[in-house]
Amino acid sequence: MKHELSVMMFTWEFPPRVIGGISPHVFFLSKSLAKNGVKVYVITCDFPGTPAHEVIDGVDVYRIDSYKNPAPDFATWVYLMNLNMQKEAAAIVNKLADKIDVFHAHDWLVATAGIGLKHVFRKPLLVTMHSTEMGRRDGLHTNTEKMIHETEAWLTYEAWKVICCSDYMVSHVRWAFGLPEDKLVMVPNGVNSHVYEGIEKEDLKSFRAKFALPEEKIVLYVGRLVYEKGIHILINAVPKVLEKVDAKFIIVGSGYMKEQLLNIVRSMRSEYKVLFLGFVDDETLLRLQKCADVSVVPSLFEPFGIVALEAMAAKSPVVVSDTGGLSEIVDHDLTGVKAYPNNPDSLAWGITKILLDENHKSHIRENAYRKVREKYDWEKIAQQTKQIYEAVLGEYSKSFWA
Amino acid sequence: MVGQLAEYINALSTQLVKNKVETHIVTYHDFLTGAVEEASGVKIVRVANPVRTHISVLTWDLTLNQEVERAAASIYYQANKQIDLIDVYDWHFIPAAVTLKNALDIPFVYSVESLEDHRSPTADTPYSMSIKSIEWLGFYEAKKVSVKSEWMRNEVARIYNVPKEKIEVISPNTNSWVKDLLELYKTVAGGLSSQ
Repeated sequence: MKHELSVMMFTWEFPPRVIGGISPHVFFLSKSLAKNGVKVYVITCDFPGTPAHEVIDGVDVYRIDSYKNPAPDFATWVYLMNLNMQKEAAAIVNKLADKIDVFHAHDWLVATAGIGLKHVFRKPLLVTMHSTEMGRRDGLHTNTEKMIHETEAWLTYEAWKVICCSDYMVSHVRWAFGLPEDKLVMVPNGVNSHVYEGIEKEDLKSFRAKFALPEEKIVLYVGRLVYEKGIHILINAVPKVLEKVDAKFIIVGSGYMKEQLLNIVRSMRSEYKVLFLGFVDDETLLRLQKCADVSVVPSLFEPFGIVALEAMAAKSPVVVSDTGGLSEIVDHDLTGVKAYPNNPDSLAWGITKILLDENHKSHIRENAYRKVREKYDWEKIAQQTKQIYEAVLGEYSKSFWA
Repeated sequence: MVGQLAEYINALSTQLVKNKVETHIVTYHDFLTGAVEEASGVKIVRVANPVRTHISVLTWDLTLNQEVERAAASIYYQANKQIDLIDVYDWHFIPAAVTLKNALDIPFVYSVESLEDHRSPTADTPYSMSIKSIEWLGFYEAKKVSVKSEWMRNEVARIYNVPKEKIEVISPNTNSWVKDLLELYKTVAGGLSSQ
């Protein structure tokens, strides 16, 4: 019996559970695929106050009990969570009676569930590698890191196709796991620029006043406070920027470096210029991005750089470090400013350049906004992804598994 | 060989083949991987762990399970889906058995050799608790539990609250050993629908 193309996605985070970029990625990709006639099932971890099963804009979302087994550490928790994910997904697929055409896993966090279900149901597995352990840690230093790296290698080995969000990631993943070139395919990440339209006409003066003085420019950082995101580079650039411009640095996000960063700020006596907000709700974040005079993405390792795209969609000019996916998103002096990675002087130069030149700033904003709308639209990304599914199914139909 | 289980499975599978039970064994070896058929007619598949670096027996076990599952699924498809039941020994490969049951409706017997509570009687570390939670999952998902003594039957019931009628005592030290086991297999192989 012929049925519409159907895919089962595995992801360890899905809204309202948001830890990193995978959650919004799978959310928008699934919804856009559904709009393009693909039946999508999402299997993800549970979250307080959410139902075990719900349908969101045509996407079937199943949340599994992810803390069923006690675990001694994070990596072991991941494998145990996969055990439960696999078990529950197996029962769902079994009940659907052969209606799943492809499995699609996002990162090593759902590796064993994806690999297991591929073999028990003999359906093709696709994987999107959002990041790598090698990149996150800048090398492999501990047994945990090596184990995760080897799990990633195994996942890419088992996958029919490996999707990466930037040309940089394609070459990085190819090198890291020794993959053949034709196994990799680049599909950019998307950004939902519509969310910023709603607040286009809103008067944000009083909102802005909660965070900065009228004469202060707002420098915004959004991201986890972890090494790979280079937040310490931005913190070190603070006094260098303040020498030239009066500004307030607003840091959104949390992470293991928080205490360390607070200490640096205190030692520079800049507490009144750097505001750590932690996690903020979506409404606040959107408005902050709208208010920001410049958004900074100082990453040391960045597979894609969704934060830069979001800022561009919010018409906030961006300063990024010239690395990874950021290098592809931003064209220097056209859609943003690129600074040398791991270099506070260069970063401060970029920030100051935008803050002091109003003409340049508006020029960059308009160009950036246009690029986002043209290239990083979820509708187009869903169509590309659907074509990959269809191509894989075409090859699969000639295999002995079919 | 790690403990006595290897010899036991060897003796058991030989007996099963003699009694015309098509027997496949899925087990682990670091490098002697692949499929072999013994002179006795027992078919064995040995798998290795694709992930070589580990932080504990737990991570080693949980990843190895995927290869066990893959090999078992492969046997299932090669046998035209005619696998009646899985007999799984101790907690190590419970995860694979659980997925295979939920995905392909193959019921399983959980054969208990020992329990984490006896191996590490005072351990309430996350590591031990984790293994216990896998044992619990096995008892919950198994169609029948097989133990080798009345004492173990009581222990399984005591520690995990498993209903006693779910637990069968089958001792290899009695003459009716193979007969009892075949009897158990027959009740389990009725399929999940008869549950």
